[in-house]
Amino acid sequence: MTATPINFQMNLTAPATKAAGQGMEVADSLNGAKAIVARGVEMVFQNGAQKFYGLKDINLDVNRGDIQLLMGPSGSGKTTLLSILGGILTPSAGSVCLLGQDLTRLNRSQLANFRLHNIGFIFQEFNLFPALSVVENVEIALEMKGTKGKAARREALHLLDQVGLADRAQKHPRDLSGGQKQRVAIARALAGNPQIIMADEPTASLDSQSGHAVINLLRKLAKESGRTVLMVTHDPRIIDVADRVTYLEDGMLQNSSAAVTHQLSA
Amino acid sequence: MASIARKNLFEDIPRLLVAQAGIMFAVSLVTIQTGILNGFTRSTGILIDRSEADIWVANQDMVGLELTLPISAAFLQQAQQIEGVQRAEALLLSGGTWRSPQGKITSVRLFGFDSAGTLFKPFEVTQGNLAELKQPYTVITDATNLDSLDVTQVGEAATIGSLSVKLVGLTTDVQSIASGTFLFSSLENAKAYATGNRTANLNCRMQNEEFQCTNVYQQSAGANPASLQPMPLTSTDAISYVLIQAEPGQDLQELKQKLEAALPDTRAYTRNEMAARTRNYWVQRTGIGFILGLGATVGIIVGMVIVGQILYSSVADHLKEFATLKAMGVPDRVVYGIIIQQALLMSILGYIPSLGLCIGLGAWTFATQGITILVTPIAAAGIFGITVFMCVGSALFAIQKVTRVDPAIVFKS
Ligand SMILES: Nc1ncnc2c1ncn2[C@@H]1O[C@H](COP(=O)(O)OP(=O)(O)O)[C@@H](O)[C@H]1O
Ligand SMILES: [Mg+2]
Repeated sequence: MTATPINFQMNLTAPATKAAGQGMEVADSLNGAKAIVARGVEMVFQNGAQKFYGLKDINLDVNRGDIQLLMGPSGSGKTTLLSILGGILTPSAGSVCLLGQDLTRLNRSQLANFRLHNIGFIFQEFNLFPALSVVENVEIALEMKGTKGKAARREALHLLDQVGLADRAQKHPRDLSGGQKQRVAIARALAGNPQIIMADEPTASLDSQSGHAVINLLRKLAKESGRTVLMVTHDPRIIDVADRVTYLEDGMLQNSSAAVTHQLSA
Repeated sequence: MASIARKNLFEDIPRLLVAQAGIMFAVSLVTIQTGILNGFTRSTGILIDRSEADIWVANQDMVGLELTLPISAAFLQQAQQIEGVQRAEALLLSGGTWRSPQGKITSVRLFGFDSAGTLFKPFEVTQGNLAELKQPYTVITDATNLDSLDVTQVGEAATIGSLSVKLVGLTTDVQSIASGTFLFSSLENAKAYATGNRTANLNCRMQNEEFQCTNVYQQSAGANPASLQPMPLTSTDAISYVLIQAEPGQDLQELKQKLEAALPDTRAYTRNEMAARTRNYWVQRTGIGFILGLGATVGIIVGMVIVGQILYSSVADHLKEFATLKAMGVPDRVVYGIIIQQALLMSILGYIPSLGLCIGLGAWTFATQGITILVTPIAAAGIFGITVFMCVGSALFAIQKVTRVDPAIVFKS
């Protein structure tokens, strides 16, 4: 499948370079080779009078179509980084470029709109809507992204079929196992066909068997459609399916030393 | 579109019922408090509303139907001479203490009206016969007053002062909630109760260039007043109001001026002005209106607090879902729309049963206590407005919780 054009419906001025030294990378990301480019990202948390660096000088490139893992000990800043790269949190400093769009140039609602059409999120705790049926959970995401009525229902059933849950469409999340719930969440994340999937510990709440199923599903979906997948995980099994693994420790990427950023065969 | 708002509400029925019970309580509180205030306000002026008089002529110092000074019965004839007046009738108010055969006493307010007239017939007689009021020492009263009068049925007798009194009929929906027990009688009977059946003479003389009159009451020597027949009204008697029916097409404001000019120390009011003045007296000048108004205000505030808490906790319950929507990139206005939609649903679900409950309760209090909890269509619409305002207002308050929510909360396990 060829890369679909960027789903971005707002009329924005072309992203300009933020600092002279970053011109090259931004241009690179514009020509489509990179899905994610982060430069000098910093996150400072204010704890009373105390300043605390959650992230320090993060530079990261993620290639289009790659499955990129973000690993590291608990509290190292993985979730914070994922939130920043996904446009959910605004960094204290630095720039993030997604699919050629400089996120730091977008206001709150433009940022939300960008997320809506370009990123599918998957959460550790699934975050399904308990009052809605399985198919409605997917349908609501499609509707929010602009597909309405019967088309939304048809597309939702198609996505559920892709994750192997077509026969559970009318059930409620409470009737499903953890692995099934996460597969529904994956179907929801795929709604609207976003270019980037971001997942925070998608297998952490699952037993090993359903964890495996979810990993294989993510791999299949990424590889078949050329999507970029950025995944935070503790799960060593996922390393096998990843293109690249980046380690984070104390808010700093360990990719300055070549030893910790592996180039893996898919 | 799958309605998250509706499905979230109906997902947990017991919780919904508890929330709706709270909203119903709040709405009922507002409905009852405002209904009592409205019912009270309406009842204080209902006698005037239902009179056929176009104009009420009263003493210039009159502040309300039951708080006025006497005017001369001679005004009745004088008013009839004025051009534009088709009919004039007297209304005589007096008070007294009713003593039941069992010796229970209660304060009564007697309205003497021209039983042959047409202008003061504010009541529907549900039992007995209006014609019997022509008999000496007879009255009718509202059916709900039987208890306070300590009688059980038409035909029973009691006393007012030294005179006997017989209940000859019952009416409905004329009793003012705040007043003493209303009784209705002929002018003759009312005069008898007002004067204790003594003869009155109006002695007038010139004093210091001023014309001064005094009523002198005389009791016929040796006669038991109760054995005397009530006497018809004479021009030397005092009455409370002259009720005027204007000729068709007559301009009422103009006629008022003519009446005021012709009848010294009086003021004339159209029926609506008279009713408004009386209601204003009760609502503004007595503590009752203030207390009921305060009750209604407190009802609205308490209602808002209750509804606010319910909606706030409901939003809190679904906070993670709203945060998930925000993280996905759903615009804030859509997320807020869901919360407001939920608030509107809750307000409708709370409003309809509450209104039914209050109307039922109103029917019960009216039947048993004579107290109207008045829910007019306008009040019902207003309360619906208040309900929606309470719910949506609380929702807007609860939305703050979502506004401030860090979308990163969705990644917390
Ligand atoms: N909003 C915040 N305010 C203060 N400190 C925070 C906040 N979010 C995260 N942190 C801190 O930043 C560090 C990194 O957190 P997080 O990104 O959740 O780590 P990880 O996902 O790798 O376990 C932790 O020490 C955490 O306590
Ligand atoms: Mg984390």
